[in-house]
Amino acid sequence: MLSLNTLIAASLGYALLLFTIAFWAERRAQAGRIGWLRSPFVYTLSISVYCTGWTFYGAVGSAARNGFEFVTIYLGPTLVFIGWWWLLRKLLRVGRAQRITSIADLISSRYGKSTTLAVLVTLLAVIGSTPYIALQLQSITLSFSVFESGGNATLTAFWVAAGLAVFTILFGTRNVDANERHHGVVTAIAIEAVVKLLALLSVGVFVVWGIAGGPAEIFAKAPPEMLRGSSIFSARWVSLTMLSAAAIITLPRMFQVIVVENAEEKHLATASWAFPGYLLLMSLFVLPIAIAGNALLPAGANPDLYVLSLPLSQGQDNLALFAFLGGFSSATSMVIIAAIALSTMVSNHIIMPLWLRFAPQRTETSGDVRTILLRSRRLSIAGILLLGYLYFRLTGGSGALASIGLIAFAGMAQIIPSLLGGLFWRGANRTGALLGLLAGFALWAYTLFLPSFEGGFILSQAAIENGPFGLGFLRPNALFGLTGYDPLVHSLFWSMTLNISLFIFGSLLSTPRPLERIQSSQFVDVFRLNKSSGSYLVSRSATSEDLFTLAQRILGSDPAERLFSEMARQQGKASGLPDATDKLVQSLERELAGSVGAASAHAMVSQIAGGGTVSVDELMKIADETAQIMEYSQQLENQSHRLEQAMQELRAANAQLTEMGAQKDAFLSQVSHELRTPMTSIRSFSEILRDSDHLELPEAKRFLGIIQEESVRLTRLLDEILDLSHLESGHGQLPLAPVVLQDAIEKSLNATGALLEEAGVQVNLALPEAPVMVIANFDRLAQVFINLISNTVKYGRGENPTLAIGLTLSETLAIVSMVDNGPGIAPHDRKKVFEKFTRLSKATLAGSAGLGLPISREIMRNLKGDLILKPSRRGAEFEVSIPLA
Amino acid sequence: MTPPDLASDASRKRKLRDSALLLPLFGAFLLVSPLITVFTAATTLFGLPLIFVYIFGVWLGLVLLARAMARRLDKG
Repeated sequence: MLSLNTLIAASLGYALLLFTIAFWAERRAQAGRIGWLRSPFVYTLSISVYCTGWTFYGAVGSAARNGFEFVTIYLGPTLVFIGWWWLLRKLLRVGRAQRITSIADLISSRYGKSTTLAVLVTLLAVIGSTPYIALQLQSITLSFSVFESGGNATLTAFWVAAGLAVFTILFGTRNVDANERHHGVVTAIAIEAVVKLLALLSVGVFVVWGIAGGPAEIFAKAPPEMLRGSSIFSARWVSLTMLSAAAIITLPRMFQVIVVENAEEKHLATASWAFPGYLLLMSLFVLPIAIAGNALLPAGANPDLYVLSLPLSQGQDNLALFAFLGGFSSATSMVIIAAIALSTMVSNHIIMPLWLRFAPQRTETSGDVRTILLRSRRLSIAGILLLGYLYFRLTGGSGALASIGLIAFAGMAQIIPSLLGGLFWRGANRTGALLGLLAGFALWAYTLFLPSFEGGFILSQAAIENGPFGLGFLRPNALFGLTGYDPLVHSLFWSMTLNISLFIFGSLLSTPRPLERIQSSQFVDVFRLNKSSGSYLVSRSATSEDLFTLAQRILGSDPAERLFSEMARQQGKASGLPDATDKLVQSLERELAGSVGAASAHAMVSQIAGGGTVSVDELMKIADETAQIMEYSQQLENQSHRLEQAMQELRAANAQLTEMGAQKDAFLSQVSHELRTPMTSIRSFSEILRDSDHLELPEAKRFLGIIQEESVRLTRLLDEILDLSHLESGHGQLPLAPVVLQDAIEKSLNATGALLEEAGVQVNLALPEAPVMVIANFDRLAQVFINLISNTVKYGRGENPTLAIGLTLSETLAIVSMVDNGPGIAPHDRKKVFEKFTRLSKATLAGSAGLGLPISREIMRNLKGDLILKPSRRGAEFEVSIPLA
Repeated sequence: MTPPDLASDASRKRKLRDSALLLPLFGAFLLVSPLITVFTAATTLFGLPLIFVYIFGVWLGLVLLARAMARRLDKG
């Protein structure tokens, strides 16, 4: 029998060997001679940290109790690894591109660098891992107890925990490497992986060929229900496979070795088959050892320790020692990596944010933050191991090893929906992830984790059996009356159902923030995005330059300068940038919130100040993008406004054009009509003259007179049309000169004197004595007055027709009004007065082509004056305005 | 290189990627489906229980397939 002292000496010697190897590897790596330290096989072996003390001892125990079920714990990871191209490759690429440091960091980063999510996942990882670490301590103390039953288990556990803390702190926190790689630790883990595999294989070979005469003989001893039974392919079989597949990605230590410690993406290709191969070898002899143990050892022997007790019972002390070291390796490697992974999460997502918030008067040099970070990691490692040790002490090391491991698996598996959704579904967002995770974890805790204490923690034994407050439908093991299932399957069903539903509906029903949107495409489209160049890592501290640049990007140069110099003055600095104090960060955030909204501002500033692993370049990209979006949307708004205006103008123009088109048509038909009438009489009279031989001379003369009259009318009409089109086109300026207005009026009255007398129109002149000088063209101005007067004679005649002509002066204009007492012009006709060939009613159609008023208005407009028809109750009142000289 | 070669090369790569996606599904079908109950019959093969040979045989087969595929995917 081996003595305890031999055992302790062997453990210490082995630990010393590991220290030496880790130290040597670390030195080698520092010297830049990494070489095979980072070969694909070392990577594969480091992943074997999946096989813990639980696997080493517990798999045999599980096989002894449940037959083939233990295989599922290896089949899940096997399936994930042979499907590496689909999931792990993407995970690795994202992890590298986003500089992910842990599973909490991954989830947080994907969902808009949410601090809440990071803290949530970190807490849950700690809750899930603490029993698991306790489990490793338990497996080590159990293995000690096999050799020396009188040993003090608690003391052993304490020294093991302390030793592991020292190792982890020494090699896990040597530096805050930007990519969080630990060469020494990984090398030591790889050695341990080899040791545990060889140990288990040795025991297996000894059992199969040493104790029994070959595999056939061993299996002949197996009870039939172990090899068949209901354990193979059941709800539990499927659930366990899925759980272990989830665990290989989400367990903090697995994420650490697979994603964070990965040196080259290429190594994954090797691990994709080599790791399943390793698992195959690890499980090959589990069943034979279990069968042999059941057959050979006394009934009371603990199946979890068959690996040790079988060789011991056969007097194979050296083999037992080797097996012990194998178990020791399995347990220690798990604890070391888990402590590193958890300490990274705890210090990055809980301690550092708190420190950044509450530390008084800190200085913002990166070296200082590094020290704080290292210190917080070391403290976290010690704290996590202490927690594991306390858990071990409080639970007294009870319960089968396997069940604790599965509970941890089920807890961490709650991350899977948010993780897979985050990698493959662009629409997944923070609200969905938060709701799903919270619900999943709550149900997991209620239906699996708390009942595992068997009434010792929060839930009493009575509450577990009868439901809290006697509410039967809330029984943790039969929620809503779902009975008849294995507790693990039951818990997984409810937690995953609610988790996935809330994740999906929460994502669909909420709007992601800008940062979430950016991150979602960074994750989902990671293979499509170009490799970002030159982005460097913020050394987890805010420098005021960084903040200042950010402020400039968003606020603009001048406001940023004002803000920062104001802050510098408040800090008592005469010149230069202010120190990056909390106050500065807060005011900056407030200022930025005005520009980009509170949430984005907080995300940006806290990413610089709070120390995520986001690069400054990336932040600037976000800032630029936000600014661009804002500018763009403003431009869009302006443009759509302008567009609307243009539309309205176009619509008005179109209406005008349509009207003008109609006018032109009317004009043309009117012109042809007007031209046709004289042409018809000229033609018919000239035909009569040509054809009749017996025409009397007076008769013929009368006809010729008509022809001549009509020709004159025709010529006049054509002249008028030409005149109008000439005036309208604006070609040919009228020669202007100072004109005495009264003279022009007098001339027009003389010209129309006969007409007025014939029609019996009484003219009332009211003109000032003093001559009014205007700038005009005398003849054209007289033409306008003549037109107006003859218009009155034609259409404006009432009883005792009168025409009142008045003259008033404004500052720049002389205004001549002509008012008759005729029937007036109906309001709806007023606009038409100035249209060509318009006659206002059939009754007034009196032979004129009706071009007088349009021509007059065109003349007045050419003279920089105007002619308008004033609305009046009786008679027509025209007003002619002419610029004064 | 001539265009037809490029085209066939691309299609070869696509087939390779598709089979890389299929391999875990194939493995799940063999090991995590009711199919496995077919092999729980109480017979032996090479002196070993059929189910033992089946599970570890399929497992080994998956490892070897994954190895062949990983080498090609890594190269492509």
